[in-house]
Amino acid sequence: MVELLLNAVINGILLGGVLALLAFGLNLIFGVVKIIHLAYGQCVMLGMYLIYTFVDLLGIPLIPACLLTLPLTGALGVALQWLVINPLLRAKANPLTQLLALAGLIIVFENLAQVIWGADLRGVKVPLPLINFGPIFLRASNLIAFFGALLTLLSLYLFLHKTYLGLAIRSTAQNVDSARLMGINPGLIYYTTMAAGGILTGIIAAFFSPIYAVHPHFGGSFTMMAFIIVVLGGMGSMLGGFIGAFIIGIVTSVTAVLTSTEMGEIVALVIFISVILVRPQGLLGIKISR
Amino acid sequence: MFSKLSLIILFAIIALFPHLFPSPYLIHIATLIFIWSFITTAWSYMGRFGLVSLGHGAFLGLGAYTSSLLFNHYGLTPWIGLLLGGLMAVLFAIIIGYACFRFGVIGDYFALLTLALGQVVALTIIAFRDITGGSLGFTLKSKGTSLLYLQSEEKIHFYYLSLGFLILAMLVWKWIDRSKMQKALRAIGEDEIAASTLGIGIIRYKMIITMISAFMTAVGAVLYAQYVTYLNPFTLSGVVASLEIAFKAILGGMFSLWGPTVGTALIIALEEYIRVSYGGKFVGFSQIIYGAALVLLIIFLPKGIYGTLQQFFQRKK
Repeated sequence: MVELLLNAVINGILLGGVLALLAFGLNLIFGVVKIIHLAYGQCVMLGMYLIYTFVDLLGIPLIPACLLTLPLTGALGVALQWLVINPLLRAKANPLTQLLALAGLIIVFENLAQVIWGADLRGVKVPLPLINFGPIFLRASNLIAFFGALLTLLSLYLFLHKTYLGLAIRSTAQNVDSARLMGINPGLIYYTTMAAGGILTGIIAAFFSPIYAVHPHFGGSFTMMAFIIVVLGGMGSMLGGFIGAFIIGIVTSVTAVLTSTEMGEIVALVIFISVILVRPQGLLGIKISR
Repeated sequence: MFSKLSLIILFAIIALFPHLFPSPYLIHIATLIFIWSFITTAWSYMGRFGLVSLGHGAFLGLGAYTSSLLFNHYGLTPWIGLLLGGLMAVLFAIIIGYACFRFGVIGDYFALLTLALGQVVALTIIAFRDITGGSLGFTLKSKGTSLLYLQSEEKIHFYYLSLGFLILAMLVWKWIDRSKMQKALRAIGEDEIAASTLGIGIIRYKMIITMISAFMTAVGAVLYAQYVTYLNPFTLSGVVASLEIAFKAILGGMFSLWGPTVGTALIIALEEYIRVSYGGKFVGFSQIIYGAALVLLIIFLPKGIYGTLQQFFQRKK
């Protein structure tokens, strides 16, 4: 039993790494464009289908296929900004309307995937070994995803803090009007952010592909997970999201081992509901008025 | 918008419709429209006052599963099950509603919280798969045509029953409109702090409207379960079911009496039309158009189709 729990905790930490990446993407978009991207998991799902198409149908090796997917998911982000988010911002829609419009996208994306690729499970078959340290068994694919996610987070951090473009993005997130006075074009920054968020979904898709088989409703639970983490950590707080990802990863994975997968998700959702009720600013968020 | 006379003519046409066009298919579609319009109207009781819930699937699931499980295991008549299912939903609404309103959760936070609630109920139904049949769902025991067990092999019975329920939901809407509650809730919806300084009991009124909405939604779910005699956690709870209720109401226009019904009728008709004309070749194709239309309408017609038409005609006068 102890070994089982130890395994669950370690797998939870590994899952937490990728979840942190998802939460980071959502946080970035929320922080800069001020939109809750309710269809974020669905973008990851589309990315995974693209990788599957390249690998299984066109015969491209996995790594080039993943690299090919990144600009495409980035373009999807830009298209979303152009076709959905910009009209919403121009119409001065209230947050609720924005939320509903993005929720409508869930229906579009999931059914698009179903029409193109069908409802069956599609997976990329990669022979990766199972590694064991004494009683602990680890899948190599999870390890790659974990360290890859940490590396991606680090490079994103460096991008945001060490480049001029990153500075422009951060200042737009802080105050749009002041940023405009400094000669920053917020419209362009929005596009850049959505492109970065889109590329991020491609990267997540690349890490997920060897682990999970994809189906049209794949994104739903991951969007939910990402939300739970973002709210838990505090909307817009990058560090909070990072910590929250590991908490949720460990909690769901341990609960799943003790009871069932559904109970794991239920516990995560209950945490989410309690956080909204009692501490809406999250673990590390700044107090905001509702 | 409608005068009394045109209303009477409209209902006369609807009442005579199954006799003029005795096609089981059309009657089936009309029945589905009535049942879901009943549910979306119940949703709009809350939605129109700014309490946009994306978790009404929770009430659907609680209502339908309570009644149907009691019927299948203990042979309890769905007429009592309907009340018990409704009471379960009300109980749930009291707990969640009190927590939300006490802590002042409103707007998009309320929407996100309720979205999670719908999912919690769906997952709970799946997790207790020994009793509920899990994600495969379960079928109601057949009793043939029986008034006591609210089952019928004649589609026309359900046609009139669900039409009756829909009219009831509209009458409740009218009753809310005339009550003091409507004024209080409108004030709360516009500015909560200002309303509370006027001495309006915010929590009390919000609780009442949430309980009414929850009860009616659960009753509608029982009706739906009795009609299709099959229950599944994905059609009766969870994120997609919850979102679809909200979308139908919003598309039609949640601020007007006829809005939810118009929205529901349009969406169900559109889905059926595309399904029939494109068949199984494009499963999901209708949903893409529907989703895209929704996104466009939410951006450009925030008052919904019916609401915008109504506004247009009022301006002309």
